[in-house]
Amino acid sequence: MFLAVRRFLLTSILPLGVLTLTGCAMRRFAAACILPLGFLALTGCSKAEWVGRQSPMDPKGPLAQSQFDVFMDTVWLSLVLFVLVGGILVYAVIRFRERPGQSDTPPPEQGHGNPMIEIGLIMASVASLVIIAIPTLEAIWYMDDVPIEAKPTSKLSAWYTGKVDPKVAEDVLIVDVVGKQWWFRFEYPQLGLTQEGKRAIPNELVIPRGKAVRINLRSEDVIHSFWVPKIAGKVDMIPGRRNHMWIQGDQVGLYYGQCAEFCGDSHAYMRFRCRVVEPEEFAKWVESQRAPAAEPAANSLAATGKALFAQKTCAMCHRVGGQYDAGAFGPDLTHVASRTSLAGAWLDNRDPATQLAIDAKGNTELSAPIDPVLQRKNLADWIGSSGVLVDANGKPVHSADIKPGNRMHYYRMFNVAGLNETKVKLTQAELDAIVEYLMTLN
Amino acid sequence: MATAAHHAPVTDKTELPVERSDIGLIRPDRTTGLLDWLTTVDHKKIGILYGAFAMFFFLLGGVEALAIRTQLAKANNDFISAPMYNQMFTMHGTTMIFLGVMPLSAAFFNFLVPLQIGARDVAFPRLNAFSLWTFVFGAFALNVSWVFEFGHLQGWFNNYEWYGKLVYKDFAPANGWFSYAPLSGTFGQADAALHAQRFTGVGTDFWIIGIQILGVASLAASFNFIVTIFNMRAPGMTMMRLPVFTWMTLVTAFLIILAFPAITVALIELMFDRQFGANFFNPTNGGQPILWQHLFWIFGHPEVYILVLPAMGIVSEILPTFSRKALFGYPIIVFSGAVIGFLGFAVWSHHMFTTGLGPVPTAAFSLLTMAIAVPTGVKIFNWVGTIWGGQVRFTPPMVLSLGFIWMFMCGGFSGIMHSSAPADSQQQDTYFVVAHFHYVLLGGVLLGLMAGLYFWFPKIFGRMPNAAIAYVASALVIFGFNLAFGPMHYLGLTGMPRRTHTYQPGYGWEDWNFIATIGAYILGLGVFLAFANLVWTAWRGKRTETDPWDGRTLEWSLPSPVPAYNFAQTPIVATRDAWFEHKHGGARIGALADGGPEGVHMPSQSWMPLLASVGFLMIGLGLPMMSMGIPHLGWLVIAGLGVLFLGIWLWAIEGPGGYHLKTPSAKSVAPTPTASVHS
Repeated sequence: MFLAVRRFLLTSILPLGVLTLTGCAMRRFAAACILPLGFLALTGCSKAEWVGRQSPMDPKGPLAQSQFDVFMDTVWLSLVLFVLVGGILVYAVIRFRERPGQSDTPPPEQGHGNPMIEIGLIMASVASLVIIAIPTLEAIWYMDDVPIEAKPTSKLSAWYTGKVDPKVAEDVLIVDVVGKQWWFRFEYPQLGLTQEGKRAIPNELVIPRGKAVRINLRSEDVIHSFWVPKIAGKVDMIPGRRNHMWIQGDQVGLYYGQCAEFCGDSHAYMRFRCRVVEPEEFAKWVESQRAPAAEPAANSLAATGKALFAQKTCAMCHRVGGQYDAGAFGPDLTHVASRTSLAGAWLDNRDPATQLAIDAKGNTELSAPIDPVLQRKNLADWIGSSGVLVDANGKPVHSADIKPGNRMHYYRMFNVAGLNETKVKLTQAELDAIVEYLMTLN
Repeated sequence: MATAAHHAPVTDKTELPVERSDIGLIRPDRTTGLLDWLTTVDHKKIGILYGAFAMFFFLLGGVEALAIRTQLAKANNDFISAPMYNQMFTMHGTTMIFLGVMPLSAAFFNFLVPLQIGARDVAFPRLNAFSLWTFVFGAFALNVSWVFEFGHLQGWFNNYEWYGKLVYKDFAPANGWFSYAPLSGTFGQADAALHAQRFTGVGTDFWIIGIQILGVASLAASFNFIVTIFNMRAPGMTMMRLPVFTWMTLVTAFLIILAFPAITVALIELMFDRQFGANFFNPTNGGQPILWQHLFWIFGHPEVYILVLPAMGIVSEILPTFSRKALFGYPIIVFSGAVIGFLGFAVWSHHMFTTGLGPVPTAAFSLLTMAIAVPTGVKIFNWVGTIWGGQVRFTPPMVLSLGFIWMFMCGGFSGIMHSSAPADSQQQDTYFVVAHFHYVLLGGVLLGLMAGLYFWFPKIFGRMPNAAIAYVASALVIFGFNLAFGPMHYLGLTGMPRRTHTYQPGYGWEDWNFIATIGAYILGLGVFLAFANLVWTAWRGKRTETDPWDGRTLEWSLPSPVPAYNFAQTPIVATRDAWFEHKHGGARIGALADGGPEGVHMPSQSWMPLLASVGFLMIGLGLPMMSMGIPHLGWLVIAGLGVLFLGIWLWAIEGPGGYHLKTPSAKSVAPTPTASVHS
């Protein structure tokens, strides 16, 4: 907050001083004009300000880089034009201001324009736009060069060292991304990590470093948008439409992504993470994800939780590979405890202070380890929110909803009366057991 | 056939006996009081009403904006809930666009266009009243959704059966001003009652019918102004002598009649999806959500120019006045306005760069979007050219106009930045876009409209707003605005998405969000001060002369406030900037020998436009309440249709009425040089 106060003083008090010190209306106006420039100068002064966790100004992949380069072309062109036109405007306003006593004199020469100047300016405007049009067109076709399955000249080669389904022509790594209110589901059709294969990856996309990946974008309800700013600009996920894009991460790390198209109540909570890993580590990760869920020890609290998972209807929507394979509506929980986040990547399982300290060193791609205490708390908060957790008298403990509008706390069934929704209720002991069970799902 | 010659000319309408329309009903004849305001057909009074309602809704939209900014002042804030935030930003956008800026522009169209072209009223005075009341009732229906939302939060409806059955309990629109289907539409198979699954509640139904009604108002007004400008110009007022504001009104009116049918079609399709189980945008049954986006933006992008062109026209009147110099390159300014109008229909897909259009359309729309920067830039060049060599006087309207140029220029440059589709793929739906369009629509349009208010207020009410307060308010607005929206460029560029009700700490967004909120409050204070100054002036301000600014166009030749008949004698115009030339030794304005003791024909007041509009109000309230499931409300819709048709029918058969008002002396004066010599 101190930083905010300092910035506020810098941006506001100085021009305000100018504004009030000089009574002249013209100077007041000039002071107001200087503001945006002063703002630019202030924010532009330190690079650290531009490399936030989710900042496209800090590209870490070829697509984000090309988009950033085109953007900077437009920035430089705009700045030149801005200084030129703005300078002439300010000069004209100052130079041709009314002097004392001038108001009674006859009006100045009533010029009506100068065709040569006007046409010259139009030509100059067109010429300056050509400067940005050319890199724009280049970048548009670069972005569209999505690798197609079995394209012989694809940039991708046999890069993947792990076990691959031999029936698929392995040329390109394909990831299907499915948007739902309000979370992302990632499927790797070539690697058997799919809904049909009873294993999908929610909210944490993992891709190998330095390899182009084809992303197929789908939605199962409303329009969402897939956006990992440091890797690539967004492309929408539209129901009934087959969009695609390609991405590539050039630097190992954890990247933050977010749905960028307004998709209802909890749009702000619809986030995801993208981990770029070395190809060998990617192979290991694939193996770990293919493995079925760990079985809890008999008679443990976790085993109780496992039973409650079915009793309390969690398993109707959530899959736990090898144990509960029916659920398909909600996120796959087979390896839920291995993920750095929860609830559509809104709740962070890493210690925020540790992560902020790492970020402060200017490398937001480095990730703090998962903090089990925090993870346990997040699980309990998330599952117990929205009145699910009840006390001994059956009264809700936390009525607040972590993600308004989400359907996790209801089970739905059809009967003669039509669609019925019933709220799940859990006591503290039941909640603890379920959390204990989920914590074992590494 | 009723004609104007029922009665002898009078000096005041109160001298007339009771007037009956062709169908025998007594026509309203009050010239003061509530009855007058409800039944008036005088373009000036209608203009004032438009302005008053627009300013009210502008402040309402501002309060919604402050709620949004308060919520975002710090990370993880819980000032308002996510659903409430979504309702706030939806209603903020909708209110500002359809209930704030458009009617405020319409206020200027109404008040100024007849005066600027030397006419005594618009072509269809009763249609003009109909436009006004339809706008008012459409706006009312839209905002009644807040009453239901409030009642829902207060638990008023808990005991009602229909309330218990509602799946989505959001009553104010929460789908964004763009209302993308299928979020605003339906999904899955429709049930026996023709209802498919929805993602939003009845707020969306309020939005659909509200915008539909507002569209009717805008279309009616636009046809009126096109006919007025083409047909009712004074002798000698050729098209290339029209004041630039009138020209921009004409271009705007054409944009409205070409753009609004697209949204009308889209809204009807969406309404059919929601009410009757149609599948225009339902992806489950093969509907195309992307169709909504195309239909919406082929309206939505011209809409941007519908908002901005009137403000450009206003600034093009103010800059020459306070530079005491003719507008630089009048033909180019007019032509570029028309080109913006044309190109405005060719760039809609730049709102859809991220929808997977494919490289060819993306490239085409990228280049066209860059192209539209040229006519916009031309306007700025010509405004600078107007100042160059002039005598710049820093009156409040001039300060606001210069602020307009500056802010609009900033908004234009960020616009060039996301005309480039690859750059836009990172900026789309981030705060960078929010910053961009607020620089264009708030820094641009609002400053332009405020400049217009301060410029023409002495003409409208014959009273001069307090200049000192005006300067302070302008400084607060310009300063607060930059403080609020300047930081949003940074927020957007560092990845903060828009339409998110909160954000987490650790992304570098906290400080600038906090500063932006402070700026928003300063801006709000400035706008409130500027409006309060005007409201106070309307009743208590210092009386002023008829032409306090050394004006250039015909309206400044009239007394302030302007008499009901506008021009005692129809002027004969010999040049552009006729009044300025007349005063400063150029060509002089002539006059026809009309008016005088013979009187000029005035239209009679009427209840019928208001009655027809009430029909729209009933439809606007009935349809969403029907879809809430409140019993019997379908009858209100049908009754509303009945009232609408009854109003139009009575209006059609009541006859135009009319009477004659005496005006001062009727002497024919030839213009010098005459129009035929100097055209």
